[in-house]
Amino acid sequence: MIPTLEVLVEQMQAVSGAPSIDPDAPLVELSEIDSMDLMEWLFSFQSSHPDAGVDAAVFDNEDGSLTIRTVHERLERAVSADAVSER
Amino acid sequence: MTTFGITGWGTALPERTLTSAELGERFGVDEQWIVSRCGIRERRWVEDGQTTASLAVDAGRAAMDRAGLTGEDIAHLIVATATPEQPSPATSAFVHHELGISGSAHDVNAECSGFVYALIMATALMRIDPRPILIIGSDTHSLTTAPDDRDLGILVGDGAGAVVLTPGDGEWLLGWDMGADGSRTNSLKVLAGGSRMPTTPQTVEDGLHFATINGNEIYLNAVRLTIGTVRRTLASAGVDVSDVDVVIPHQANIRIINSIASHTGIVDEQVFTNLERYGNTASASIPIALSEALDAERVSAGDLVLLAGFGAGMTWASVLLRWGGAEVAA
Repeated sequence: MIPTLEVLVEQMQAVSGAPSIDPDAPLVELSEIDSMDLMEWLFSFQSSHPDAGVDAAVFDNEDGSLTIRTVHERLERAVSADAVSER
Repeated sequence: MTTFGITGWGTALPERTLTSAELGERFGVDEQWIVSRCGIRERRWVEDGQTTASLAVDAGRAAMDRAGLTGEDIAHLIVATATPEQPSPATSAFVHHELGISGSAHDVNAECSGFVYALIMATALMRIDPRPILIIGSDTHSLTTAPDDRDLGILVGDGAGAVVLTPGDGEWLLGWDMGADGSRTNSLKVLAGGSRMPTTPQTVEDGLHFATINGNEIYLNAVRLTIGTVRRTLASAGVDVSDVDVVIPHQANIRIINSIASHTGIVDEQVFTNLERYGNTASASIPIALSEALDAERVSAGDLVLLAGFGAGMTWASVLLRWGGAEVAA
């Protein structure tokens, strides 16, 4: 249901135009990605997964350590929690 | 059935120009960073003595002149603004007096959707009272933006745009849609100065009379809501997006505009933008862009023209016009 980490990286490259993205690099250090790129990706994700319950909190980054890998882990947790709540 | 035509249009823009290079210096960022984030190279900000009403008066007068009308001919005035002349009375009262209008005066605050809201309401009003209506969008968000607010400071511009509606025989309005989601009032707000948080020395000291923006929420919902309103309006008119000749979106941010276009199938050649020169002028952005598109002869008789916007609240609205009017079935 959710993209693999590799596909998520490719999707982020597509919306930001970044030629490459290290999934373990803090997003704040990736100058080619900004919050609007993240929102554009989120909009597309929400459109294709309207029941996943994923919102902008998936990009919460209070301590500046958020990476694409962290985002992917949050997506996995959000979707699995949603699946549990549906049972 | 009484229909209408748009027979006059005009704009008013302050002469004071703030370039993205100047703002970049103020906020400690590169000019190109600003341009890449929002597509705005410069914007106009009011100077001392210029207000929401004074801009509205200038734009309204230009629109009336083009229509060959005076204030005495105008039956109803509707001013769309989110930055009123003062809390009370309505901004339209000031404009009404200055333009010598004899009819009624109304304010509409739907933030950046305000002009399209007003246009839809005016078309309904025209059916029960077929006399000229002046619609103005005017905003001065530079005055409600904190000097150190980079997020809003790089976006906002001041200005006004106006159109005159006169009774006609052709059917201009082929489709429309407007709505609101009041659960999203935190997306862009001015907290103090109203009944919820009356003005006190503390609210002034805390800067609560300045606007604040939640950019991520605005982006996400602006795209979603505008896509929805565009699709509903086109569907109600039975028109495919590829048949639209000119799309005039709310001039908010080029990346929001591009996202809306890509998700709705609108191509670059259909879209008219001018935000690179004026920034986001809120309620004024669509009538200013419409006026410029008309002056540049981007719109011809018979063209399908789509106006679409979103605003804080959040609100959305769109209309599909047949420029010059379609023949009305007997």
